[in-house]
Amino acid sequence: MILGDSFTPGTFADAFRFIFDHATLMLDKTAETAELSFAALGVALLLALPLGLWLGHRHRGLFVALGVSTIGRALPIIALVAFFITLFGSIGFWVNAAALIVLAIPPLLTNAYFGIEGVDRDVVEAARGVGLKESQILSRVELPLGLPLLLAGVRIAAVFVIATATIAGTVGGGGLGEIIANQASYGLSGVLAAALCVSALALVTAFVIGLARSAASRRMAPRT
Amino acid sequence: MYRKHTRRAAKAAFAVSLGVALLIGLAACGGGGGENTTTTTTTTQASGKPTIILGSKNFSEETLLGQLYGQALQAKGFKVVYKPSIGSSELIDTAITSGKINFYPEYTGVIVLDLAKEKSPKTVNATYRAAKKYEDGRGLTLLDSTPFEDVDTFTMLTSKANALGVHKISDMTKVAHFSYAGYPECQTRATCLLGLKNVYGLKQVQFKPLSTISVYTLLDNGTVTAGDGFSTDPQQLQKKYKALVDDKHIFGFQNVAPVVSQKLLSGSNGRLLEDTSNAVSRRLTLNAMQQMNNAVVVAKVSPTIVAKKFLQANGLA
Amino acid sequence: MSGWLLADGHGGPVIPNFGQGSACERSGGWFCTDWVRANWSSTLQPALVQHVELTVIAVAVGFAIASLLAVVGYRWRPFDVPLGVFTDFLYTIPSLALFILLVPFTGLTVTTVEIALISYTLFILYRNMVAGLRGVPDEALEVARGMGLTRVQTFFRVELPLASPAMFAGLRIATVSTVSIATVAAFVIPKGLGEPILTGLQQSFGTEILAGSLLAILLALTADGLLALFQRGVTPWTRVR
Repeated sequence: MILGDSFTPGTFADAFRFIFDHATLMLDKTAETAELSFAALGVALLLALPLGLWLGHRHRGLFVALGVSTIGRALPIIALVAFFITLFGSIGFWVNAAALIVLAIPPLLTNAYFGIEGVDRDVVEAARGVGLKESQILSRVELPLGLPLLLAGVRIAAVFVIATATIAGTVGGGGLGEIIANQASYGLSGVLAAALCVSALALVTAFVIGLARSAASRRMAPRT
Repeated sequence: MYRKHTRRAAKAAFAVSLGVALLIGLAACGGGGGENTTTTTTTTQASGKPTIILGSKNFSEETLLGQLYGQALQAKGFKVVYKPSIGSSELIDTAITSGKINFYPEYTGVIVLDLAKEKSPKTVNATYRAAKKYEDGRGLTLLDSTPFEDVDTFTMLTSKANALGVHKISDMTKVAHFSYAGYPECQTRATCLLGLKNVYGLKQVQFKPLSTISVYTLLDNGTVTAGDGFSTDPQQLQKKYKALVDDKHIFGFQNVAPVVSQKLLSGSNGRLLEDTSNAVSRRLTLNAMQQMNNAVVVAKVSPTIVAKKFLQANGLA
Repeated sequence: MSGWLLADGHGGPVIPNFGQGSACERSGGWFCTDWVRANWSSTLQPALVQHVELTVIAVAVGFAIASLLAVVGYRWRPFDVPLGVFTDFLYTIPSLALFILLVPFTGLTVTTVEIALISYTLFILYRNMVAGLRGVPDEALEVARGMGLTRVQTFFRVELPLASPAMFAGLRIATVSTVSIATVAAFVIPKGLGEPILTGLQQSFGTEILAGSLLAILLALTADGLLALFQRGVTPWTRVR
């Protein structure tokens, strides 16, 4: 599908010039990729978090958590996209979102599970002894303590989804992937430009979530 | 505390893993290096016949054509290395001019209109001559072309065409807004989107790029109004789809002719190569290609087998 | 057009009967077992073998490089941050883009695909290995020092074995991920299980998509299982729960 123009150090400079020359295009496409990624992440969070939190709280379903994690990693993105395309019979936003949601669930589920499950049992017992209801234990004790690990999972899922969302672009999903898949029209500098934008989007997202994670850890650190 | 033998086992496991890893890495580098040495156009075998590095583009008819020419040449003792699914004409053209391949089947109209960016010739033969002239000036050349043509089309669902009351492409000017699906390179081609916009004046078209899904699937699901179907697609024979008449002839004449590097034809085996290729081209009539495309796309027979059966039936393999 | 034919003297080419395919194949169905049986040795099995090759090479070389980098990053802290950032960055580049960008350097070859796959395994393995080495409890190091072991001896006899659970976990994750990412290689070279998936997608042929996908998933899970067994055999103390 792809072939080389020649890749010289100049191509990097060309890529940056491409971004400046086509600023609106790059912004639009980046926004499209971001929209797809965050929508998929959102839905995946809604689906995976409650299950993961509940299982972790009950200390049940270790095999589910581990199994889902492994299988999720084993699912090739193009297989998922191909499956949903043929299932829905069309291309478009929700076909790709469906594939990304399936991919995002495993890391979210696993980290939610281990985040809650790993909370010191003594602390949980103490809370129970004080008379807190189960739901309160989960929301007021386990969740804050498990938040760092949970957010680490969100970060992993976010980076993965953003990078993978570009593959969706090759099957009409729009976004930066459309540029990457279209070397004939945009040239190698365009492809590099799009790849750099994806990287930037992923790194910025990871950084922001990382900040949240640090804040969560610090808040829970024992004060001595 | 852990027992001594399991500690040793862990160390041994690491040593073994690392050793295996390094060995595989070295073997891979050696093998990879060997593969790269076949990318020059003048590699020859002991018998003196040049190695043919045969490229084809990223759709099934091209893969089929690649197999047809490749297997025929192999039957005559040439070594053929296949490089399928390279991409659009623009990209495969870069491949052959940079020596990464030295033989690939191309459509004459695409060469003249999209690569050379010249005006559309008026006949089949004129198109062939213009294409050959263009390639001759670049260290390449064109072998004989095929009887069959495969042109782009403006395909719609027949029901949709009837509903809109359109019969030829010029009729689309009365449609306020419509979408057209095609390969990404369609956007910059006179035989595609540019022709629709500039020659037909259809500025209202919205382009939808596709790369791995069949345009007929998109038409079936109403995702697009019209799309770039190829005239030799088996689906074109179905009443369900209708190709509008190209009354302003933007799609050109599109017979297939192999583009080869001139270096490949020099030497004592050049004549044999030419003759073998021409013998194949001569037999690729419209009917033959439609039947073969049907076998690949509808009956799901692999292009390799379809090519083999056709060549054997015609005494070419 | 027919002028070309008549000049040859023949009436036209012989067109053999290619068959119409079964009803299942014609409709692009998902479970055409006759197609699978007919095309196993010509299409599916070679794709599977190529996929195994791609994965094994990528993980093996990635493991070797990551081991070296991890030792460097662990011993000399100043190197850890840049190495970590670099491998992080590699991971954010979409696989397809990385393939495309490497093609001008290394062509449409397996080498291009391998370089990209190795970059991704580096990210996972490096992080896990360094974390594993860092996770070695200080008490164990104290004991080693008390026993009079040299730095090198301590590394091989204490740190490495204790870090191996984390390293194996990383190896398993890297292997499964590589099998998955290697399917994208089919966009560049027609090798691996991504090829039947893409071809099936182009022809709207569910069986081919499903065959390629299932084989990829099974391959990943089998590899994971084998590595898990290997890990159990080599680090039995982690079995105690």
